[in-house]
Amino acid sequence: MTSRPYTRRKFLAASAVVGSGSLVWRPAYAKGSVTAAMYPGTWEEAYRTHVAPALKKAHNVDLGMTPLFAVDQIAKAQAARGTPPFDAFVLDPGPRVTGIERGLFEKFDPKRLTNVGKLPAGAVDEWGVTVAAQVVGIGYNPKKLPRPKGWEDLLKDPWLSRLGMTGFQTTFGTVSIIEIAKRFGGSETNVEPFFTEIKKVLPKVAAIGAPASMPALFQQGQCDVTYTNTQTVDTLKSRGVDIEFVKPESGAVTFFTTVHIAKGSKEIDNAYKYFDTVISTAVQTALMQPPNNFVPVNREVKLSVNLPMANLDEMSKFVRHDWSKINPLRAGWIERFNREVSK
Amino acid sequence: MSVAAAGVAKTPARGIATLAKPAEWQLALPLALAYAAFFLVPLLLLLAVSAFEDEKITVLGFANWRKFFGDPFYWKVTFDTVKLGFLTVIATTLIGYPIALVYLGSSPRWQRVILFIVILPLLTSVVVRTFAWIVILGREGVINQTVMWLGISPAPLRLLQTEVGLVMALTQIEMPLLLLPLLSVMSRMDPNLRDASAALGASKWRTLFKVTLPLSLPGLIAGCMLVFASSTTAFISQFVIGGNRLVYLPLLIWQQSLVVYNWPLASVAALTLLVSVSLGVVLIATLGRRSKGYVHA
Repeated sequence: MTSRPYTRRKFLAASAVVGSGSLVWRPAYAKGSVTAAMYPGTWEEAYRTHVAPALKKAHNVDLGMTPLFAVDQIAKAQAARGTPPFDAFVLDPGPRVTGIERGLFEKFDPKRLTNVGKLPAGAVDEWGVTVAAQVVGIGYNPKKLPRPKGWEDLLKDPWLSRLGMTGFQTTFGTVSIIEIAKRFGGSETNVEPFFTEIKKVLPKVAAIGAPASMPALFQQGQCDVTYTNTQTVDTLKSRGVDIEFVKPESGAVTFFTTVHIAKGSKEIDNAYKYFDTVISTAVQTALMQPPNNFVPVNREVKLSVNLPMANLDEMSKFVRHDWSKINPLRAGWIERFNREVSK
Repeated sequence: MSVAAAGVAKTPARGIATLAKPAEWQLALPLALAYAAFFLVPLLLLLAVSAFEDEKITVLGFANWRKFFGDPFYWKVTFDTVKLGFLTVIATTLIGYPIALVYLGSSPRWQRVILFIVILPLLTSVVVRTFAWIVILGREGVINQTVMWLGISPAPLRLLQTEVGLVMALTQIEMPLLLLPLLSVMSRMDPNLRDASAALGASKWRTLFKVTLPLSLPGLIAGCMLVFASSTTAFISQFVIGGNRLVYLPLLIWQQSLVVYNWPLASVAALTLLVSVSLGVVLIATLGRRSKGYVHA
């Protein structure tokens, strides 16, 4: 009789199908943990070394990290539709505005942070809290080029033929191009003068690269001057690369990195504990030290000599941008950049 | 009632018997289900998303299709992407096929050494290999230092962010994909056939074109298809080596989906990439079949 083995097989197959249901992966919501999206690289390393142990020690909460760039966090949270793959975002101003517009964050209550009083004014709002600042300016190789004075120098020789550029994909790229445009008559919402100027000199530009490859291009001498932030300059310097940070005459640009609670998170309490730990004086001090080189936001932290300001209040004089105005224009700028600079 | 349904209705008993009998197709069922769940469904979703006009995916319409195909810039990007694939296929074949011939003529011991060298790059991440090419192609890189030392050019050549540089890098990065199927076919080739060709008076070139090449063609076609599909979609290598000066479809997809969140336009670009890569693969397969007929004739 041939039906018996088939019946057995059928039974096994059915069991396998039923059994496989229990094998479907389920996230482990251990009591006392929080999963944070984290920028890959320096941020992830620094947070693993300093924030995770401090959070465990102070609150007995485990910090899990999902390495994602800001734009990827927004895309993933949006695709997840209400069941966020992580509890906390870490974002630059552009993606932050997108997150608010698309309703991806839980409302934020600053009173739940014990360290909130140590932050400068404006560092918290109803959506999140600032955990780091970034200071953007010009990085150049002092052994190969004279010191540039301002943004407009980048489009003049000798700097132009050694210039490394990136487009509007990153926050630092976008704000730097806006600042260049301003020097030629543009504004926060008008980068047309930049395109007019860059068209004239495009063949001479040394490199127009992917943002992630810029440090490697600088290190390899493909370019000797570029717009960048203090953190990248300090990191390259510590690797023995000849690079100095210049605060442009029109002022360095600053923007803030903020953290937010993902809408629908089940670990809201732990997310507050995580944020409170990040902005604590001890953690902010540790994050400022090499090789992390973060710009702190806690006023009790004694600033490193490498930073282009003596205290955090000076940063109020730095140039800042309104990303709610920039975001709607950015898609058009990216497209325009593609057309103008591609061969 | 459809023709198929009518056919089943006519022979119900036979149809059920065929279904109930364990058959080979059942073995392919898990893969088929996975394929349906993880490829077909997302593909249909992609098609659906492309049929919306706005970034928030609320208004139905084909504005993004019109925008993409009504703009010469996007046509150029699509053409450049396909062209990059074919240039890489040509370069890998020109360099890879002689390596395969060396493999064919080597002793089993040396064949193992060659195979190991071919596989070696696969053991390193593509990101590492791509960044290594920045060091090789850069102004102060190995190639430029050699060129200047030999006096070929007084100033460093611009290799990074040029199509030539990118094809050079992709040729090395994709080479294992060409060689592995090619070597696998070549290692099964009967050496007596080449000896017979030589014994019958054919020159080495004639043996190569009349015996070795036709017999290795299935491996070569498989390798070329893999190289084409992989190089046209190699986002990391294209972006890191090509920068913003070279715009290909994967960069457009990334910008539209992850930087500006215009998923409908990203879907149009993704479907264009899928179709153009598929057409390229079909073209390679057709060319392969035709030339097989030619070399046998």
